Amino acid sequence: MTQFDLFMNVVATGVLLGSVYAAVALGLAITFGILHIPNIAHPALVIMGGYFVVHANRFGVDPLIAALVGLVPFYLLGMLLYSFYANTFERRGRADVLQSLTLFFGLSLVIEIILVLAYGSELKSLTAPYIGSSLRFGPLTIPSRLLVPAILGPATVGALWLYFRYTNSGTAIRAVAHDERALSIAGLDPAAIKRQAFGLATATAVIGGAALAMIGPIDPFSGRFQIGRVFAIVVLAGMGSIPGTLVVAIGLGIAETLIASYLNPAWSPGVAFAMLLGALALRPQGLFGTVR
Amino acid sequence: MNRLIIENLSAGYGAVSVFHDVSIEVTEGEFVALLGTNGNGKSTLLNCIMGFIKPTRGRIILEWDGKALDLTALPAHEIVRRGLSMVPEGRRLVPSLSVEDNLRLAGSNPVVRDRLSQNLEYCYQTFPLLRERKAQLAGTMSGGQQQLLAIARSLMGVPKIIVVDEPSVGLAPIVVSQVIEVIRTLQKDNNLTILMAEQSFLQAIDVASRAYVLAHGRIARNFDRSSGDIDHDDIRRALLGAA
Repeated sequence: MTQFDLFMNVVATGVLLGSVYAAVALGLAITFGILHIPNIAHPALVIMGGYFVVHANRFGVDPLIAALVGLVPFYLLGMLLYSFYANTFERRGRADVLQSLTLFFGLSLVIEIILVLAYGSELKSLTAPYIGSSLRFGPLTIPSRLLVPAILGPATVGALWLYFRYTNSGTAIRAVAHDERALSIAGLDPAAIKRQAFGLATATAVIGGAALAMIGPIDPFSGRFQIGRVFAIVVLAGMGSIPGTLVVAIGLGIAETLIASYLNPAWSPGVAFAMLLGALALRPQGLFGTVR
Repeated sequence: MNRLIIENLSAGYGAVSVFHDVSIEVTEGEFVALLGTNGNGKSTLLNCIMGFIKPTRGRIILEWDGKALDLTALPAHEIVRRGLSMVPEGRRLVPSLSVEDNLRLAGSNPVVRDRLSQNLEYCYQTFPLLRERKAQLAGTMSGGQQQLLAIARSLMGVPKIIVVDEPSVGLAPIVVSQVIEVIRTLQKDNNLTILMAEQSFLQAIDVASRAYVLAHGRIARNFDRSSGDIDHDDIRRALLGAA
């Protein structure tokens, strides 16, 4: 394999890995980027989504189908979570960031413990016909365990982008990010719109979870390694920009794989924060955000 | 008779009372002006009517088609759905949405969404400028154009009564006259019912059929065009709080 072939393979892997990061970060782009709720439990919810898919897979259900089915219960779970959050925090004036962080930190611990109790702490993996083989495109060797999950990220980004752009409820969610009173004046209940947005964000956790579980086995604590990365992606993309989330996630995937292959794999977790620091120094509103 | 009745309403922020014992009425087809200098509680009163501020005393009743609805305890979006719409101070458009999306947003609540496309067409016919600019982001339009959009948006909810708060704020004097003229024409042509707060009273009084003057948190005077011409000096004295 020539140097150039190696480089091409590294970049291709980075693109695929980044697409998966996008699937994991999307929910946070909605909750943190649009609703300004610092939901650090999102990665734990993603792993919970992964376990949902793993559980269904034990009965022979294809992971993709399981993820589609899982959208509904996770949407409802998200609405329930938001109602709890709104009634306990937002109703008493403005929710304090530190209090919200504590709530969602606690929630992620609870999710991890529930998963440990239900499934044990050992690694769980998925089986599907497209996991395990490799595809060759000329000099590129692409493992299908990366290719299929990597399609999920852009597909979800595309679906969400269409939803936000072309539906009335999507427009309302974009508006709630700016001004709740503008929604009340339109005769729409801001709390209901935010509940719907939180439900949507939580539903994407199943897709992110399915993608992660296809790449490699997961355990109840796998979400912890994603927290820093997904926050970096959302902030770097410019709070709430859905296409920006995909672009930044892919850029991060490429940077991480380049560093891991040519320098030292141990450094790759730091890449997200190095990029975040560098980019925010130059563009505080994020790469794809607008000045508020 | 279809009308909005404000009965002995009081409101304030914490221990500070903003207005007390205010009673006003707006009957279908009327253009009622609420006058007062800055800080006399006009905006607080309108925000109270729209459900953004909870009154400490009093009631807000909408009598329409033989039914009396108590709006006092309802949240803002429920009040809007029952037929009051608002052109708020500072316009409160969503600057990052297009003109059309701003209109669609206001036309998509459950009560009116079946007629969204007809209502949108009506707005575009009334304000051809907005049709030309429907894809433009609301935040990039001039202040006067944004005010027109805010007025058009209030029509998307098919309102029984439109509450207009200080349409002149932040606009150049010539644009203020144009905006008030637009509201007046709209009101006449469509027999709309309007309650408008305004501090530049000379312009407001010319278009209103009746006016209340709010001074020191109370209704100091009220004027009715049908009982003779309105004396500007009289209003000026009332605005300044003279008896």
